[in-house]
Amino acid sequence: MAARSEEKRKKLVLKTMLYGTITAILYAAVFSHADMITPYFAQGGYYAALPIATVFIFSFAHGAFAHNLWSTLGIEAVTKPATARSRTTVPRPAERPRPRLRVNA
Amino acid sequence: MHDTAVEAVKFIDLTWMNIAFLFTVGFIGGLVSGFIGSGGAFVLTPGMMSLGVPAAVAVASNMCHKFPKAMVGAYKRYKYGQVDIKLGLVMAASATVGVQAGIKIQEMILTRWGEAGSNLYVSVSFVAVLLIVGGYVFYDAWTAKGDGSADPVGALAKKLQGINLPPMIHFKTANVRISLWFTIPVGFATGMLAATIAVGGFIGVPGMIYVVGVGGLMSSATELVIAFLMGLGGTVKWAMHGMVDIRLTLIILAGSLLGVQLGAIGTTYVKEHMIKVVMGTIMVIVAVSRALAVPEYLVQLKVISVTPQVLSILSIVSFLTMCFALGVGAVIILGAMIKGKRAAEQAAYGTAPARVSSESYEHV
Repeated sequence: MAARSEEKRKKLVLKTMLYGTITAILYAAVFSHADMITPYFAQGGYYAALPIATVFIFSFAHGAFAHNLWSTLGIEAVTKPATARSRTTVPRPAERPRPRLRVNA
Repeated sequence: MHDTAVEAVKFIDLTWMNIAFLFTVGFIGGLVSGFIGSGGAFVLTPGMMSLGVPAAVAVASNMCHKFPKAMVGAYKRYKYGQVDIKLGLVMAASATVGVQAGIKIQEMILTRWGEAGSNLYVSVSFVAVLLIVGGYVFYDAWTAKGDGSADPVGALAKKLQGINLPPMIHFKTANVRISLWFTIPVGFATGMLAATIAVGGFIGVPGMIYVVGVGGLMSSATELVIAFLMGLGGTVKWAMHGMVDIRLTLIILAGSLLGVQLGAIGTTYVKEHMIKVVMGTIMVIVAVSRALAVPEYLVQLKVISVTPQVLSILSIVSFLTMCFALGVGAVIILGAMIKGKRAAEQAAYGTAPARVSSESYEHV
């Protein structure tokens, strides 16, 4: 059991390092060329796609890093038994009678 | 248009102090956003402006970090079963209309009373909305039972849920059935406030709690969906005008992605009424901060006369109070998290609370 948890922890540390490295490379790539990239990304029009795509890419890499980092540090979500809210939804009205094909005459 | 935008935008030089400031505020703002669904923008935008960033670039760069942060927060909280996507989409649709209305009102005021009039309108909206709504949330939070039981649904929400006005919508995750006509005003007001003071969540979250009748945890998580959609729309608009400074955005994002995940994890440790405690506290302190900014605009409109020294002091105190609001929010969240974590660890000796598997959401 302890060996399994140790293995899981090791895997988590490796993942944190991997995503951390990817994130660091991405940040280094942008900030080492910031003088060129910043005005290029701010040309407006179709160039708007560049900053938007950039933040999406950074979010996936850095987001994964952040998630693994908190997990490595032992900060993980706990599931609690859901506390039932008092029922407030109004019950649906009773179904209306379906139209009949035959008429009772 | 593009060339004009590039010429008009002046990108500031970054110093280590600027970077540290943006990263820290980004982290704390992210923490608060991950927990209550919004926050951070009210400090980040004026904060960037105080560093010399032009107002439009500050708003655009802030918005460009807001939507990916909200996306990550929403995804994380969706994994915890706290997001009602349908409610988020319905709210976001009406909020989009609200944003347009808010912009039109701003333009009207700007044309008629100039920049000082517009600033006064923003500050008065801030103070009025935050004092009334925030004051109520604050009062409700401190009078609520802190015993961990689920928040009871408010009287107004109960009444509205009982009115059968088609089309009725059933929000499955939130377990609420209500007429669409009662969700539209909440979404609309959220958008209008977002266009006015850049923090729509200060209306959106209390609106979902007290009008629609959704719990605090689910409201704050669903607000992240609204923030993502509205932030993405706003970013496209600003980026097409070439106003995003990608360096500022990425620095803030670096802090906020760490913070938003911590805040989201924090919601699983605390009792539901803590959302209201944090939100109410922040709103009331921010209202005080904005009230301190009102005299400056009244002087510009020649309604009152105050010495420039006093105005300068008021301006500094106003900004510091805003930072204080964010700081207090973060301290309450971290305090509640530590307390909740200890309680969970103690409970582990008895009935162990299951940890959410890290494997299940490893990509964000």
